[in-house]
Amino acid sequence: MENAQLKLRINASKCRGCRSCQLACSFVKHGLFNPFKSYIIVERDVETEHTHPVISEGCDLCGGKPFCAEICPYGTIEVEMVT
Amino acid sequence: MDETVESVFTVDLSTGDFKKQEVDSKTVRKFLGGSGVGWKIAADLLEPGIDPLSPENLIIINPGILVGTLTPGTPKTTVITKFPTIATEDNKHFIGSCTSGGRYFGLGLKMAGCHHLVVTGKADSPVYLRVTDGNVEVVDASELWGRGIEEVTNYLVNREGSLAGVMAIGKAGEKLVHLALTIVDKTNSLGRGGLGAVMGSKNLKAIVAKGTGDIKVAKPKEFIDISNELRARVLEWPRREHWIKLGLAAGWSDFKFTQYPGKWPRDKWDELYGEKTRMETVEEVIPCTSCMLSCRLKWKLKGGEFDGEIGFGSPFSKSATSGMLLDIEDYRKMIHLVALGNRDVGIDFYSITRLIDFVTTMYQRGELTKEDTGGMELKRDYETYLDLFNKTVNREGFGDVLADGWMGLRQKSGLNPQDYWYSGICKGVDFIYDARASNFHPLMMTFFTRPRPHHGGSHTRTNSPEKPLEVHRNQVERWGIPKDAVERIFTPTTYSGKFNVGRYTKYMEDMMRVNNALGICVIFTYQALLFGDDAARLYSAATGNNMTAGELAKAGERIHNLSKLVNVREGFTRKEDKVPELWLRPMETPEGKLETMDYYKTKVMAREDFERILDDYYEERGWDIEKGIPTRETLQMLGLEEYLNRL
Repeated sequence: MENAQLKLRINASKCRGCRSCQLACSFVKHGLFNPFKSYIIVERDVETEHTHPVISEGCDLCGGKPFCAEICPYGTIEVEMVT
Repeated sequence: MDETVESVFTVDLSTGDFKKQEVDSKTVRKFLGGSGVGWKIAADLLEPGIDPLSPENLIIINPGILVGTLTPGTPKTTVITKFPTIATEDNKHFIGSCTSGGRYFGLGLKMAGCHHLVVTGKADSPVYLRVTDGNVEVVDASELWGRGIEEVTNYLVNREGSLAGVMAIGKAGEKLVHLALTIVDKTNSLGRGGLGAVMGSKNLKAIVAKGTGDIKVAKPKEFIDISNELRARVLEWPRREHWIKLGLAAGWSDFKFTQYPGKWPRDKWDELYGEKTRMETVEEVIPCTSCMLSCRLKWKLKGGEFDGEIGFGSPFSKSATSGMLLDIEDYRKMIHLVALGNRDVGIDFYSITRLIDFVTTMYQRGELTKEDTGGMELKRDYETYLDLFNKTVNREGFGDVLADGWMGLRQKSGLNPQDYWYSGICKGVDFIYDARASNFHPLMMTFFTRPRPHHGGSHTRTNSPEKPLEVHRNQVERWGIPKDAVERIFTPTTYSGKFNVGRYTKYMEDMMRVNNALGICVIFTYQALLFGDDAARLYSAATGNNMTAGELAKAGERIHNLSKLVNVREGFTRKEDKVPELWLRPMETPEGKLETMDYYKTKVMAREDFERILDDYYEERGWDIEKGIPTRETLQMLGLEEYLNRL
């Protein structure tokens, strides 16, 4: 989940499980909406309803402007420079 | 690309048979898709006069057309059925639609390729339905029967995967209590008026939906541009920061006035049930599928008898109003009842608590006796309320009477529901709000004009008190309705005030049908974040079926007329579209008298005013004003001639 200069940082405690990131990712990659076709898995503990996204192998940060980070309404996914 | 083809998954629980069919493109275009097509299915397949708790009743589940498309404010699923609520003294039942948001259920249906799930028949023993890609299985649920909704939901999600959506009933539905509803994904309630009992009558404990398929739109680039534009608009909404912290716990500053039941002084109510208690109790705020607002709540009670109890849903306004009505000063006790209702038994909190308020008070007044209650003493204390609550869920003793709702109570005890002192009763259902506190805005009118007496997703800016007329005019104009209609709406009258509530309500109801078909959430129309022209652009890009806002509104009118026709077939006329008697009596409060006033509070509404507003409503609809039913000409104009002969 890195390209040469950027990486994604997940603030898990901010995740509310809306799945916007997954739907955004599959849309950018495939022009359709399907969480299973995204590079993000959202783990969900059904008893507590705590969720957090995990970026999968193969994510290329959309070539520099990750749609998931742009779309997330709650500040869960942020883009950082690699140091 | 044409995305107007829709699939219907039909399950007959009597035989276990499943079939998958397609709805032709022409029908989808005519009725928009989603619950619009759902109403056509209801009109074509639901036989008139059937018992709602018989195998012949249908449950028609329709996820919104825009569910799962990343568009803010589009998570909703609409269910159509004949409700077991006794609506009239001669035991008529309405056929209605109910809607809810959800986090996984609608998404699961769409990903499974299911646009309409139709359930008919009755299983021999408890079952649940498992909806997966292109298929529905009927699965034995004998181990789940009797268990609480949250327990069953968690079990099914753990079994099926984290994207599985669940709609489930609790004990109240299993016992065919007319007040039983379902809970979707643990967080959203669905089906006031007895959808839970309809499922129970079919031995249907739950539906789990999960798919792996794609959700597509016809014009992806155009669609995402519109979606992103809406997204930016929501981010700029000045109230968003407050809303995402509190969800449906926000808004106390308005509710303190618009939902006031008038028993305690407002200061006392504020102290016991106001924002401070809300802030103490909210743990997390949870969004529906891809929503940017977050309305659903996870709460935790602190201190008191129920210390540490966690719940999901929306407990605050309902517990505050019923808490005052029941004279319960500890808000945690009321929220505990909400938890019992949502988490365990699946019962409508509003109706059960108001029925309990009514009967316990009438008992204290001597209007109900031990003879009526089967020997039970009805005290005005929490222990009695809890006892009545549980007895109603289980249909035990006097609870068996309450389980048949307001008209059941009337039939068995002689008490008149119209004597109840809060909210207002129509077609056997108590409304969420009371017009004397909230004023007579169009949502309040839909309560008695709609076939199913619930607001049903019609909210507009008129839900907020005394907003400038230009705000309302702007929202109406963006529905794309003809200019002369806009002028008629905003022509002042002596009976309706600065705008004509009757004519407004007609178009508001039509737009409600559009919103429900698309899956658009009421918060977005209530707060004017998503307008009629936005809906048209989204619909056109999603389906490839280009429609203007006005054409969309016209399709909404068609759907509404169809929903009315099936109810005319059940015997409903203007006689049942009655303003609740309560709204014509003042509410005596410690802060003075409250009477039903027009939206801008220029006058107290009189009976004749309501009658004239209703006349205008029917006239605007092109219906027979005396009978309150669609005319032949209107049905022909809307392309519904094929249904004329079936009336």
